[in-house]
Amino acid sequence: MADMSVIWLRVAAALYSLGLLHAILTLVRRRENLFRVALGAFSIGAVFHFVSIMEEGLSTHHCPITNFYETLSMCAFLVVVLYLFIHWRYRLESLSVFIFPLVFVMVLVATMGNPVSAWTSPVIRNAWLTVHIVLVLLGYAALLFTAVASLLYLFQERQLKSKKPRKLSYRLPPLGTLDDLISKSMTLGFALMTLAVIAASTWAFIEHKEAWIKQPAIAISFFTWGTYMALVFLRVTAGWRGRKAAIMTVTVLGFSALTWAAHARLGVLLKP
Amino acid sequence: MKLLLTGVSHKTAPVEVRERLAFREESLAGALGALKGRVGVSEAVILSTCNRVEIVLTTEDSADPQAIVDAFLAEQKAVSPPTIEPHIYRRQGRDAIHHLFRVAASLDSMVVGEPQILGQLKTAYNAAKSSGALCGWLEGLYERAFSVAKRVRSETGIGQMAVSVSYAAVELARKIFGSLENRTVMLVGAGKMSELAARHLRRSGASHVFVTNRTPERAAEMAALFQGTPVEYTRFVAMLPEVDIVVASSGAPHYILRKDDMQRVIAARRNRPMFLIDIAVPRNIDPAVNQIDNVFLYDIDDLEQVVNANLRERMKEAERAEALVLEEVDRMMARLKVAEVTPTIVGLQEQLEQIRASELEKVRRRYGPFTPQQEEALEALTRGIINKVAHGPITALRSHSAQPDGAHVVAAIRKAFHLQD
Repeated sequence: MADMSVIWLRVAAALYSLGLLHAILTLVRRRENLFRVALGAFSIGAVFHFVSIMEEGLSTHHCPITNFYETLSMCAFLVVVLYLFIHWRYRLESLSVFIFPLVFVMVLVATMGNPVSAWTSPVIRNAWLTVHIVLVLLGYAALLFTAVASLLYLFQERQLKSKKPRKLSYRLPPLGTLDDLISKSMTLGFALMTLAVIAASTWAFIEHKEAWIKQPAIAISFFTWGTYMALVFLRVTAGWRGRKAAIMTVTVLGFSALTWAAHARLGVLLKP
Repeated sequence: MKLLLTGVSHKTAPVEVRERLAFREESLAGALGALKGRVGVSEAVILSTCNRVEIVLTTEDSADPQAIVDAFLAEQKAVSPPTIEPHIYRRQGRDAIHHLFRVAASLDSMVVGEPQILGQLKTAYNAAKSSGALCGWLEGLYERAFSVAKRVRSETGIGQMAVSVSYAAVELARKIFGSLENRTVMLVGAGKMSELAARHLRRSGASHVFVTNRTPERAAEMAALFQGTPVEYTRFVAMLPEVDIVVASSGAPHYILRKDDMQRVIAARRNRPMFLIDIAVPRNIDPAVNQIDNVFLYDIDDLEQVVNANLRERMKEAERAEALVLEEVDRMMARLKVAEVTPTIVGLQEQLEQIRASELEKVRRRYGPFTPQQEEALEALTRGIINKVAHGPITALRSHSAQPDGAHVVAAIRKAFHLQD
């Protein structure tokens, strides 16, 4: 990618990051007071994004969809335009919780097409990786909590639906309490995982240069993160509870386990 | 000391008999005073509730507790013994302790496990204590009974489950929502049953009550009872997305809430759970509504089924509680037996000490006076000897006291050491 194009794209990514912040705050605090700011930043980000794409097209003299990064940037831009249109037409604020983080991560990945200079010191390299591992483990713990609470919820829901509550159900927490626990741990897990994904992609990008995106382990991570985001989105907008939510959470947990397995040799990379 | 428990309860006597024997709260102190004042009575407690009247007293060994109670009842209640005799139960010693523990643990109650009886027993205990009729052994027994009741409540599930329809509804609501704080209730139909349910829900924290009824005046009247809001009957379905708990009890001859109505409501609520209680007959809510996710519909039969299951569960827990009570009675009896041998142990020690002192005195007269060192040596020597001699019999007394042959062992030791009775 052309250098100027990447710079514009980075500016756009920085503006889109406000959208991510908005999404996380909305989930954690259940208030949407940052939305207007995030939407403003999102719109300005779209302008820079457009400039970046034009720049790329002009400097390479072809439509900028020839490699993965260009295509990703283009795709993210189309999502942005589509979202802005939908928002203008239907005012679907809740969709932003889903779209903003997605666009941010897509654009962040797209900026990583050009190799930058290698690690300045091994200490920074190791610290960075350690931060990623810690964030991801905390995220897994929160996700595990969510999954266990979801299964308990499912069990308790069945009991109440069957109208023959057995003795065990008296020992289980009420649905309301479990629901609260699920919301909190799920959101916390999502925030941690998102930060972990950002840390990891940056690390992998510097480590492996432009070839980083071709690693299957990284593709799996992005896929898992995507399913997690879908889970959060369905819960926040459609209020998915009970059976559907439990199946979804366990699926995400399964993908997370797979991702972990794919990264089993990550510790080896922590070298002095 | 003798212990006698005399009483009538809902199991042995009809209300006509119980009401004739009952003591009103304000007359209780006087009655206790009169009972305590009788010759031979050491301590007394009178429990008088709508389901039972029980008189517990301890007397000196020489007194006849049954005669005392009969005379007391004849004086206080003017009842002739033959008319009440078939309804009365009398328990002595171990049986009395067992009965008291069972009553305290609510195993003898009309609804097994209901906690009121413990409170009533405590009131009776306090009344006896403040009028001076409790001052020692019996007081300890009651305190023991309270802790047995506490143990039964915490170690078995006897009091955990609701055994009335309206409480079962509240309990289910708690199972669904956790806390009922800030939950809203809609009463569809303003009958007696829904009023009762609403009262329970409101007391458990529900924040607001909407009332709808075919006759708006009745709805307004009922809403006023709970500082709630009356809602027009024609548009109550439109209000439902705001409502967490619905209590339906209208006299409508057909379903007033159908599956497609509720599907729309639950979608508008973004799937937040809803609890529908249909206590109307014929039913107000289509049973198919229960198939919708996050909607929990209970009709009157479902609630009764829950209550019955809870009652069965209580009975199971009651069996465990009975075993626990028996264990506590055995423990109490063992403790009592140990207390019984205490005078023998003290007597034995006194006897030996007396012998030691007099022998020492003899030696002093014959060989004294001694230097302080010699005195000290003699003291240590003689004390050592009597302690060694006493050790065997005291251990035997303690270990055999709780056993069936305990009385023989005690008698043999008393005889061997010439202890006076």
